[in-house]
Amino acid sequence: MIRKKIDIPLIIVLTLLGLFILVPMGSAFEYSIRNGLEGGYSFKNYIWAFNQDDFGHYLLRSAWLASLTVLITLLILVPTMTLLHLSNSKFRPLIDGLSLLPLVIPVVAFAVGAQIALPEFVQSTVFELPFLYFILALPYAYRSLDIGLNAIPLKTLTEAARSSGANWRNTVVHVITPAVRSSVMGTVALTFALSLGEYTITVLLHWDTFPTWVTYVAQENLLGAIAISMIALIVPFAVLTSISLFAPDRSMKESK
Amino acid sequence: MIQKIERESAPSRGAFSLSKTFSILPYLPFIIIFSYFFLFPISRLVYVSFLSNDNTFTLSNFETAFKKPYNTGFINSIKIGIYSAGLTVFPGAVIAYFVETRGSSKLRRSLAAMNGVLANTGGVPLAFMFTAALGIQGFLTKALKSAGLDIYAHQFSLATLTGLLVVYLYFQLPLMIIIFSPAISALRREWVEAATNLGANQYQYWIRIGIPLLFPSFIASFLLLFASGFSAYATANALTVGNLPLTPLQIGGLLDGNVSAAQLHLGKALGVVMILISAIAVVPYLWIQRRTSRWSQK
Repeated sequence: MIRKKIDIPLIIVLTLLGLFILVPMGSAFEYSIRNGLEGGYSFKNYIWAFNQDDFGHYLLRSAWLASLTVLITLLILVPTMTLLHLSNSKFRPLIDGLSLLPLVIPVVAFAVGAQIALPEFVQSTVFELPFLYFILALPYAYRSLDIGLNAIPLKTLTEAARSSGANWRNTVVHVITPAVRSSVMGTVALTFALSLGEYTITVLLHWDTFPTWVTYVAQENLLGAIAISMIALIVPFAVLTSISLFAPDRSMKESK
Repeated sequence: MIQKIERESAPSRGAFSLSKTFSILPYLPFIIIFSYFFLFPISRLVYVSFLSNDNTFTLSNFETAFKKPYNTGFINSIKIGIYSAGLTVFPGAVIAYFVETRGSSKLRRSLAAMNGVLANTGGVPLAFMFTAALGIQGFLTKALKSAGLDIYAHQFSLATLTGLLVVYLYFQLPLMIIIFSPAISALRREWVEAATNLGANQYQYWIRIGIPLLFPSFIASFLLLFASGFSAYATANALTVGNLPLTPLQIGGLLDGNVSAAQLHLGKALGVVMILISAIAVVPYLWIQRRTSRWSQK
């Protein structure tokens, strides 16, 4: 293995980016652990946040709403896209265009439209949110799935399975599903994260989830809200970064 | 002979058109959900924006939308869109270039994860993060002061256009890195080598090949960043208390009934104008995206 030389310009760029991102984050964290008038540091704002009953309540609610959005993505988008990639359907440009359309519409305008269009029985249940989150995440989910599916020779695999005598059920279960799994996982993570953090449409349609609860907390305890925000930023940050650091290095395998 | 062929091909043609009709079936669940939860609300929004309080056709909602204070809202929203995009598009492109061409794959992936968190889950948490960092007692405020920049000398507040801009930059820069990186990774090594073999130096490569190839994606990224800054709602809503005229906030206020207007459907007209402005940016973005992805597909 050849050791690379130290790349000075890259290090300068990364240092600047690191300062830009970490200085505000670090200084907010420092602020959130200050001990008020007594001076010194403590985690009392974090302890306060965790002791709120609403903390778990709203986090759980946001999590299952995000899970339902993922479920809709898995049941509706994944089969649709897999079939599009298998069949060269003439509907491909149509679905392609539709999926990117939500990118054009500002979420605020979409929220107003949803409020005046959807009937009472839809708007009176929180189950409308996963469908709306699905629409909001669609351009990103579509693109990530499209790139993933383009990278696998789905058609060849399916034809090989079919001509070796597999029936459709076996082809779907043993060939297509394992082949698309990794690109689906990426899409699932993206959809889940977007739904978990969604604020605009949720608050405009008067629902309470974890992100909207934070703004509510801020009105009575700003330090508590800051602590919760730090958790909301640092935890996904740490989880995703460690996943990407410890995950097997795919490009190394490819270059072998 | 001819008759025979016709007779044989006729039924098969019929079967073909039948399967054509049915071939839309697998796509129906997607199309139905998309139409009901997206196309229907948006068309209803456009329709209602042309209705008066008595449900007759009118253009008066749009007339009001272009008067004070709503025109100020549009100007401010367009300003913050342009400024936040203009200030991040170049640094973001440079960072994307260095990371994509010189970074290890681990570095690229952990940066992508980090940028994803900041660009997509940001909004409200970022607003409170900056409340702490740039508050009058914040560490960053003090650090800036000791560096000779006293931001509170001129009555700084996060709830102003400048204040919001600082927070917007924090999610616009990661967004720029995310959307511009694919364009960088599509630049092939062979092109540098080919140019060098033909006698080009670094400078000539960039002027004749690199920049012309990246320029469309660069413009497209600027347009998407503009749309993102123009229509952002979460951060602004968390930081302001209805005192800053920005179109998304004005629409939110009208929707909640916090702000009363003589015209019931004014908010819908504001929404339609927002869609038009956003479309001016996003439609060219999608078009350029499609054109460039054609040659970048390996």
